[in-house]
Amino acid sequence: MAISHEGLAREFEWVTKPGEQKHIGDGIDGTDLIMQEMAYELIVGNNTDVDRLTKEALDSGYTANQILDDGLLNGMAIVGVKFRDNVIFVPEVLVAARAMKAGMAHIEPILSASGAEPAGTVIMGTVKGDLHDIGKNLCIMMLRGAGFVVHDIGVDSSPEDFIDAVEEFGAEIVGMSALLTTTMPNMGRTIATFEDMGMRDEVRIMVGGAPVTQDFADEMGADAYGDNAVEAVDKAKELMILLAELKSS
Amino acid sequence: MAEELARTGNDTLDREKARASLDRLYTIYKDIAATADEVMQARCPYKNARSLCTAKFGCSNQFFTKDPTALPACAGSDQIDYRDAWDTEPPPE
Repeated sequence: MAISHEGLAREFEWVTKPGEQKHIGDGIDGTDLIMQEMAYELIVGNNTDVDRLTKEALDSGYTANQILDDGLLNGMAIVGVKFRDNVIFVPEVLVAARAMKAGMAHIEPILSASGAEPAGTVIMGTVKGDLHDIGKNLCIMMLRGAGFVVHDIGVDSSPEDFIDAVEEFGAEIVGMSALLTTTMPNMGRTIATFEDMGMRDEVRIMVGGAPVTQDFADEMGADAYGDNAVEAVDKAKELMILLAELKSS
Repeated sequence: MAEELARTGNDTLDREKARASLDRLYTIYKDIAATADEVMQARCPYKNARSLCTAKFGCSNQFFTKDPTALPACAGSDQIDYRDAWDTEPPPE
């Protein structure tokens, strides 16, 4: 197998397990240079280049399927291997995920046009007074991977920031993160603000973060608590089902 | 116009294949999340591959150089709980 893109060939050298070499290698083998370049730029987290290359590829007649498989997924697969093998760490993964998002921004309208609607719309933020965002960012990555549209309102987010975002994007779910015991009460304040604004029934609220527990979530009046990023996705899917049932009744 | 329609129409997207691709992406992300949970037990998640700090908050393990634009180095050893070093003061209003 020959990889014509030099950078991608170097990155592929990190894939050392024979099974993965075959699986990922078969995916890259024979792909066009633009796809290999896209995969490489995703791996190194160059979101502007992934954005540009995805547009160019679509304009050149490549299908969304080709871009997904030959460009974006080939890149993300190598990111996963490098992370597992401690070549890169969480910051590099999140930068690659941002590049994936840049490419997917062009693919998602095509998916929607074919009838594949998003799983739901989520507002994600770290609460007021808290600047920690890694957990939130990992959850956002997972939610987007599961088909949710996620609007990240960042860190140090006030109750009003969450409410404004729900109104602007018509979100069904609000996800709040807190990493400090001192900022956890702001989750309760945000929920109370939704109630005061008469918006509590319009959204489902889920919470998470290292010091947060199910008991705390129940006490604050949250609809769900996620212990980790994968659980956040499971809970978000459950909340969407509950919302749909509420609407139909 | 025809090309635009073709690009956005169903006939250029194999939905089953797209579904399989998105499932594969989710599996990659799930594996990443599992690795992250493991790695973060010892290594601060804000510390990148070059041992530079990407946190937006202060931390007593940050070692700043003279270059104000450069990320600080992380002096954390990955042997002691890194969370104790994190600055827990709220940001200024």
